[in-house]
Amino acid sequence: MTGREGSGSVPEEGRIRPHADGSGAVDGAREALAAAQEALVAALVAGGPVPSGFDPDLLGAASRALLSKRAGEVARAWPALAASFGPRWGERFARWAEGRPPRGPWRDGWDFARAHRDALDPAAARELALAEARWRYDGNGEPRPRRFALRRIPGGGVAVIVSGRLQTVLQRPS
Amino acid sequence: MTEVLAQCGVGIGWRPEIAGFVAGLPGLRFTEVIAESVHPGHPPRLLAELRDRGVRVVPHGVRLSLGGAEPVAPERVARLAAVAETLDAPLVSEHVAFVRAGGLEAGHLLPVPRTRAALEALTDNIRRTCAELPVPLALEPIAALFDWPDAEYTEAEFLTELLERTDVHLLLDVANVYANARNRGQDPLDLLDRLPLERIAYCHVAGGRRHEGLYHDTHTDPVPAEVLDLVRELSARRRPPALLLERDGRYPPAAELRAELDAVAAAAGLPAIT
Repeated sequence: MTGREGSGSVPEEGRIRPHADGSGAVDGAREALAAAQEALVAALVAGGPVPSGFDPDLLGAASRALLSKRAGEVARAWPALAASFGPRWGERFARWAEGRPPRGPWRDGWDFARAHRDALDPAAARELALAEARWRYDGNGEPRPRRFALRRIPGGGVAVIVSGRLQTVLQRPS
Repeated sequence: MTEVLAQCGVGIGWRPEIAGFVAGLPGLRFTEVIAESVHPGHPPRLLAELRDRGVRVVPHGVRLSLGGAEPVAPERVARLAAVAETLDAPLVSEHVAFVRAGGLEAGHLLPVPRTRAALEALTDNIRRTCAELPVPLALEPIAALFDWPDAEYTEAEFLTELLERTDVHLLLDVANVYANARNRGQDPLDLLDRLPLERIAYCHVAGGRRHEGLYHDTHTDPVPAEVLDLVRELSARRRPPALLLERDGRYPPAAELRAELDAVAAAAGLPAIT
């Protein structure tokens, strides 16, 4: 690498900081490491190709172990969602999540639930509806708490939300 | 090195699901909490109560990505430091691993290549981190199902060099040593005999299970006899100041968890805490 990040240039956010001694060899090695790490993560969680030199069977086993761990984490964050798939939860989640990079258990579960709206049982549908009542989530950015909302909840009642918190579920007298 | 957890004996990782069980252990002198799960200003009440009664609490970071080629994020380090202050921690721990690259989160601890470039990156990140921490740092080598190609060091050489350069403590996970050796057809004692055991601040012990011919360090299964044997072998060489049982889900009944803690204590030649 040549002195692309030479004196006077401001390193961009997240870029590799140049070495004080200006050693191009060290920077080059660091950039190669960054690229190799990125390729490995892509292979493990984003359906990228197996980088050369790695054992494809072992990477496959690691990738499946990651999916299984994710399924367990999502089940803790979205218990009704996982329960609605019973013993097939792990398999169903893994099939959906394969090739989708993890976005944290909360959003992973949310995205999965939205993609399976028709398959949710009443408890899971209620869990999703309560989350959607409390938070504004466009499917991309971080969910944001709603300041105030009234939302009809499947299974009965209207949720009253203030500052992202569920205050009460009003039940209509039957 | 000074023993930051001297005489702390056997402990168990603090998790919300077993907070009552942990609080009820009469001989407990130390515990560990996932650092990212603690709000710096508002630690969970039951954890704060343990701290207030003198139980040492070690924040265990899992998201710093010290082994990443990118510089460690200053805000993550600052948060870890704040959690350490809040919990009055004697030290904090993290991993020899990376968890993200190029904007992609792996969602798990991934191994770094045993190369000079990775050693330099780790060293830089550990130094940046230690400069901001109010307490010492211990580093944990991870369990990995696969290896990077073109290693320039053995695992023992790599870890020894890293610990010497950065002068941090070692958090030795005995189950990781077992898992890595078993999955590679190696003898776990070979690694124990080549590591700087005097740098151990404390040890992890955890359960796992065999699946598709590989041993998976799950933290959701019982501790196998082979891991307890390795605790025995380690303690015969140099008894660690403290050992911590990690359990992260599928929690067994309290009696089973107590029996597991007793088994760890017996293997290490330490008093039971139950």
